[in-house]
Amino acid sequence: MASTETLLAVRDLNAFYGGSHIIRNAAFSVGPGESVALLGRNGAGKTTLMKSLLDAGPRVEGEIMFDGADIAGVPTDERSRRGLMLVPEDRRIYPNISVGENIELGRHAARAGKALSLKDIFTLFPLIEPLRDRAGYQLSGGQQQLVAVARGLLGAPRLLLLDEPVEGLAPVVVQDMARHIERIRQTQDLALLIAEQNLSFARACTDRVVLIDTGRIVFDGTWEDFDADPGLKERYLAV
Amino acid sequence: MIDYRRRMRANLAIAVIGLVLFAVFPLVANSGLVFLAGLVAVNIVFGLSWNLLFSGVGLLSFGHAMFFAGGAYAMAVVSLRLPDLPFAGGLLLGAMTGGIIALVFGYIALRRASGVYFAVLTLAFSELVHIVITKTTFLGRNDGLVGIPRPVINLGVASIDLTSALAYYYFIIVAMAVVAFALWSFQNSPAGRLIQAIRQDPVRTAFLGTDVRSWQLTAFVLSGTIAAFCGAVMVPFAQIASPEIAYWTVSTEPILFTLLGGAGHFWGPAVGAILFGAIDYATRALYGLSEITVGMLLLGVVLLMPGGLLGFLLSRRTAARRLTGSGKRVPMANAEKAT
Repeated sequence: MASTETLLAVRDLNAFYGGSHIIRNAAFSVGPGESVALLGRNGAGKTTLMKSLLDAGPRVEGEIMFDGADIAGVPTDERSRRGLMLVPEDRRIYPNISVGENIELGRHAARAGKALSLKDIFTLFPLIEPLRDRAGYQLSGGQQQLVAVARGLLGAPRLLLLDEPVEGLAPVVVQDMARHIERIRQTQDLALLIAEQNLSFARACTDRVVLIDTGRIVFDGTWEDFDADPGLKERYLAV
Repeated sequence: MIDYRRRMRANLAIAVIGLVLFAVFPLVANSGLVFLAGLVAVNIVFGLSWNLLFSGVGLLSFGHAMFFAGGAYAMAVVSLRLPDLPFAGGLLLGAMTGGIIALVFGYIALRRASGVYFAVLTLAFSELVHIVITKTTFLGRNDGLVGIPRPVINLGVASIDLTSALAYYYFIIVAMAVVAFALWSFQNSPAGRLIQAIRQDPVRTAFLGTDVRSWQLTAFVLSGTIAAFCGAVMVPFAQIASPEIAYWTVSTEPILFTLLGGAGHFWGPAVGAILFGAIDYATRALYGLSEITVGMLLLGVVLLMPGGLLGFLLSRRTAARRLTGSGKRVPMANAEKAT
């Protein structure tokens, strides 16, 4: 039975790479339709936390409830098919197939009868349509990121995890990505968890902030709460 | 832009041109050379089946002889013990034997191993098949099964007599051209694209909701089925199925074809198989020289032409086009793989 209050609930989550303890007793939640920013410096554990949710890399202990069910032991591909979709930091566009085919690969993660059509995708991302027949290796960084997000969306996920979606992109492209994410939020019934270091981008795209530092969740609250304590930025985000 | 129709036409043309060249070969060559050409045609598809795994899904098999031998022995047994079974039935049973061997061993190997460990497991399974053949009286033990007849295919209104070596040669080259192009079509279908995606990035493909292990097993079974089909087609041509075709050296052959021709190109194993056949013929009178020549050539190719012979030739062509300013300015590594 799906929960109507919490889509993702993480409790006492610990993640390890070999003997290295990366994520320590993490606990947070994401509600249906909510957009949450996961902020932290380089090496704070954002990517490891996201991969832990998919069981894709680190050894994971603790409880991950998704859509009302404990997903411990559920393989990565099955988690994707249940609606938990990760768009990784390095985009990973397949270079030798077309943009259209790259996006179509996302259909394997579709929940029954829920997938978007390519037409829907082109409506959400008008910039992609002219690139449809272009090979993956012929895209710029910003175009690759759009295609990666579009591919993640095709299967109509319930929670889309975006790992640093604007890293390395030009400011104008970052603004464009923020507009696209806003449009996705308005038109699609899904929640977002966005790992970011770019504060203004994260602020533009999310309702709430989870702050991570050296593998521990050190803050979980609204942007107003976050802004009310300038020390948070100083302690956990300043380089 | 990727023009798939143009690409399909070009590859169909390659298959047809290859078929025509093999078809006119008996007009200029003696029967010994024609026999060798028939084996080369079989080896081309055997190499392509191996490369479906290696360049397709990213699995290294050191045991492809088990599929080839499985198909060959199944065909030999059917031909000798069930002579009333139609020839197509024998081919089907032969291909299915390879598919079943691949399903059983692939299921075990893919659950337990990847990378080099997977390769070593396939070698071990292949040796197991070899030992079973040499210890089984029903399969002729070390002597193998001999006197396998070539078929007469009855089509109802007419029949096709393949009992002569030349007639069977023509059957081989047509069958191999059809299977080769079917394999190209598969690799360029949505399922083939997915398999390539798994090779390029298995983790990412799992993120996209794909059961990577099931698709790897599917590719393994398909590869084993095609390799076994090659063995089944070869047996009536050679009229013998001996345990040597299950030996580990046969497993190295498709690897050599692929490395010589170029693993990154669909037709690379075909080029390698033809080159391998030519060296084998040129050195046939000198025992051991064939292996030495192939070994030296392989060393040279790996050191000087890491993309294989086909990769080298295509990179030269691209370089020449760039000099004349008529080529597309795309990164070479990607351009090669896109063909």
